[in-house]
Amino acid sequence: MTTETTTTSPRALARRRRRASAARFWRQYRTHRAGLFGLAALVLFALLALAAPLLVGSGVSNVTDAPGRPLQGPSAAFPLGTDQFGRDLLGLLVWGARVSLLVGLLAAVLSVAIGTLIGVTAGHFGGWYATVMMRITDWFLVMPTLVLAIALATVMSRSLTTIVVAIGVTTWPTTARLVRAQTLAVETRPYIERARALGGGHRHIMTRHVLPNVMPLVLAQTTLIISSAILAEATLAFLGLGDPTVVSWGGLLQDAREAGAVSAGHWWYLVPPGIAIAVVALAFTLCGRAVESVLNPRLGVGR
Amino acid sequence: MDTRTGSLPGRVRLLAGAGAAALTLTASLATPLNPSPAQARAAGDGEKVLTVAVAQSVDSLSPFLAVRLVSTSIQRLMYEFLTNYDPEDARAVPGLATRWESSPDKLTWTYTIRSDSRWSDGKRATAEDAAWTFNKMMTDQGAATANGSFVGNFRKVTAASPTKLVIELKKPQATMTALDVPIVPKHVWEKVGDFSKFNNDTRFPVVGNGPFVLTDYKADSYVRLKANKTFWRGAPKFDELVFRYYKDQDAAVSALRKGEVSFVAGSPSLTPAQAASLEGEPDIRVNDAPGRRFYALATNPGARAKNGQKFGDGHPSLLDQRVRHALFMAVDREAIIDKVFRGHAVEGEGYIPPRFSQYFWKPSPARKLAYDPAKAARLLDRAGYRRDGDGRRLGKDGEPITYRVLCHATDPNDKAIGKYLQEWWGELGIGVRLDCLDNVTDPWLAGKYDLAFDGWSVNPDPDFVLSIHTCAALPATPKDTGATDNFICDERYDELYARQLAEYDPAERADLVKQMQARLYDLGYMNVMAYPNAVEAYRTDQIESITTMPAQAGNIYGQDGYWSWWSAVPAESGGSSGGSSSTGVVLGVVGGVVVLAALGGFAALRRRATAEDRE
Repeated sequence: MTTETTTTSPRALARRRRRASAARFWRQYRTHRAGLFGLAALVLFALLALAAPLLVGSGVSNVTDAPGRPLQGPSAAFPLGTDQFGRDLLGLLVWGARVSLLVGLLAAVLSVAIGTLIGVTAGHFGGWYATVMMRITDWFLVMPTLVLAIALATVMSRSLTTIVVAIGVTTWPTTARLVRAQTLAVETRPYIERARALGGGHRHIMTRHVLPNVMPLVLAQTTLIISSAILAEATLAFLGLGDPTVVSWGGLLQDAREAGAVSAGHWWYLVPPGIAIAVVALAFTLCGRAVESVLNPRLGVGR
Repeated sequence: MDTRTGSLPGRVRLLAGAGAAALTLTASLATPLNPSPAQARAAGDGEKVLTVAVAQSVDSLSPFLAVRLVSTSIQRLMYEFLTNYDPEDARAVPGLATRWESSPDKLTWTYTIRSDSRWSDGKRATAEDAAWTFNKMMTDQGAATANGSFVGNFRKVTAASPTKLVIELKKPQATMTALDVPIVPKHVWEKVGDFSKFNNDTRFPVVGNGPFVLTDYKADSYVRLKANKTFWRGAPKFDELVFRYYKDQDAAVSALRKGEVSFVAGSPSLTPAQAASLEGEPDIRVNDAPGRRFYALATNPGARAKNGQKFGDGHPSLLDQRVRHALFMAVDREAIIDKVFRGHAVEGEGYIPPRFSQYFWKPSPARKLAYDPAKAARLLDRAGYRRDGDGRRLGKDGEPITYRVLCHATDPNDKAIGKYLQEWWGELGIGVRLDCLDNVTDPWLAGKYDLAFDGWSVNPDPDFVLSIHTCAALPATPKDTGATDNFICDERYDELYARQLAEYDPAERADLVKQMQARLYDLGYMNVMAYPNAVEAYRTDQIESITTMPAQAGNIYGQDGYWSWWSAVPAESGGSSGGSSSTGVVLGVVGGVVVLAALGGFAALRRRATAEDRE
């Protein structure tokens, strides 16, 4: 028998600590009603997107064997009508959630990853490196994001990767600034100095001490950026810069516009994707705000 | 494109973001892309202005370079041609020339030039101008870019007197009464240096003798023309003609509804949904007529220049005629007419649209490459392009075949048909990648595509659209621009082309033209999928009457002549129309949703904000 059965090992301790903090987080999060609404909406959409292959099947985006006539109004068979190919719009809406959410998530992760990397290194190393990095960040910060994304999406080939990259590399500067500020604050704490005195290298300090401390901020930032990434994806697709063969909400709006649904007054084609985009973006924002106010020590006293 | 959703700082962005996509919709609806308010009947001084909404960019205003429909239509208005086509039946009628006759051997043509046509700077338009124009095209490669096919066979062009133009030919040429070449004023154009670079857009007004004079032009913004009050056929009824750019067709349609524009041509035509919704509107007339365009899928036959140099990167498998035929047979043209055009088009057959019945050719049932995916698959198997374990066809290099299809980002039909192609050809095991670009010209001229959506307007005399597939139209070197459509160069076709050009007997010539189409069809480089109708709309409270061409069931925009705009009569009552109810509903619903979402978001965020502030 080892000692593990009687006394608690450090690993188990850490596990217990994490569980406790997660429970604490959830208790606090629960008090934010808007956050709960957002979470519920997100869970709903995530389930829909994950279950889409079962619910509607990948055949929903097929144009050759579309079930209806082009541009039918809502009916019992097609609750949201059909698009210009005669495809079921409700099915497309569900199917489009996959792409919209996926691109939103990936782009946000990419953006936050870049921002965190630059923020942490700039905060940690300081000196000329930080100066150069922050000037680059400033440069990206003052660039109109959408215009830059459009330019990028135009020069690269039309694909989902392009959209992800275009959004990712244009939205990171705010994260970089935030993370750098937090890094500077963390690095002035005495334990960092202790770690350094004990022989901790740059890498050790950044990954073991700084990163865990900026993580809450990064998490909150990610949730917030996802909503703007989903909007950016929809905007780019709407502007016709997405892959025309992929079904996404923005792409549906673009299809609707090209089919002349706006001037023809086919609201059932236009409104549902618009609402879906708005609701998901709102849900992520609400969650992000709730997470932020739970995790941000400065705001912790409020509630 | 609407780029109004720029970035706003911090929280505002999140809020505004909540409905941004929906907002872009309403934005594109409510405000067209033009910052300045458009005026259809404008001008305080009682000038009658005819505003036409267009989308196609002008490639050049120089008659020596312009090939796009919008540009060539404007050339028609700016310059008088030797002959014009009758709006009734498209036979040749006098233009700058009042009479023409040929010598018995048909090699010398004498045109009598009218003496009552003046350039807009006051000088008389004479045979000298016409002779100079043709001579320039014969001697300067740069000046032959657009219309070189007409003068390739000219031996000598002289002006015997101000009213007498003599053209001597090397061989008989059938297009002598259909020379679609704008005659330019010599005294202005002889100062031009490089004809391949000069776009005729530096000095306004541009000196011309057509029914309208070009007074102003801003790329992708507007083209402004003033009526030529001294035009020999009679002054146009409108004082000004403005082609205003609406890159968004829905914006153009709502501009028409609001009366900001008098006419919407569509790019290339209104969508079925738009046409259907406009049909019920008061004061708006939808003109749905057989078009003069063909709409095709062009194959890259291995781009090459006249000097024999090959360039571009077209897929090598497309050089195999069996592969092209298989692709042809895997396209269900009936479905395209039914689903994409929704009946506003005629199924593609040969090359020239059925509207030109004289030259129209359709393949016999035995020859026809009808929709038959199973046969197409067998053909590919026989050609040696077999499927791998995943069902994908492998090229000769062992890689799965994926064709890049060049499509116009501005044309919804391209994208829609692209989706069908993806599935039809996907069944064959062939991948399709749609390259939808705003500007397809660069990859096209460089030969960097596999297939491309293609379309041309056909003139009553088909010489031009036939000439763009001859070897003579290839660019001189890979760096040059030729008149070629997609680098087709076939000896038999060229031989037939030369024979039809030299044939004066209309029936014989028509037969040769049909043989050419048959040859083109068999080669499989051009899959003509449809002859789209011209679906256009105009306000009857602004335009009282307008000539269509042909007079019965004809189009208005992009005619073979200046008839429509020249003949348009302004309506007496300038009744302005209210916004449409259905648009209003959409606006209301979308707007309401946006406001609700924004309010919800705002309320939630306000609460957070107070929590933060309280601290």
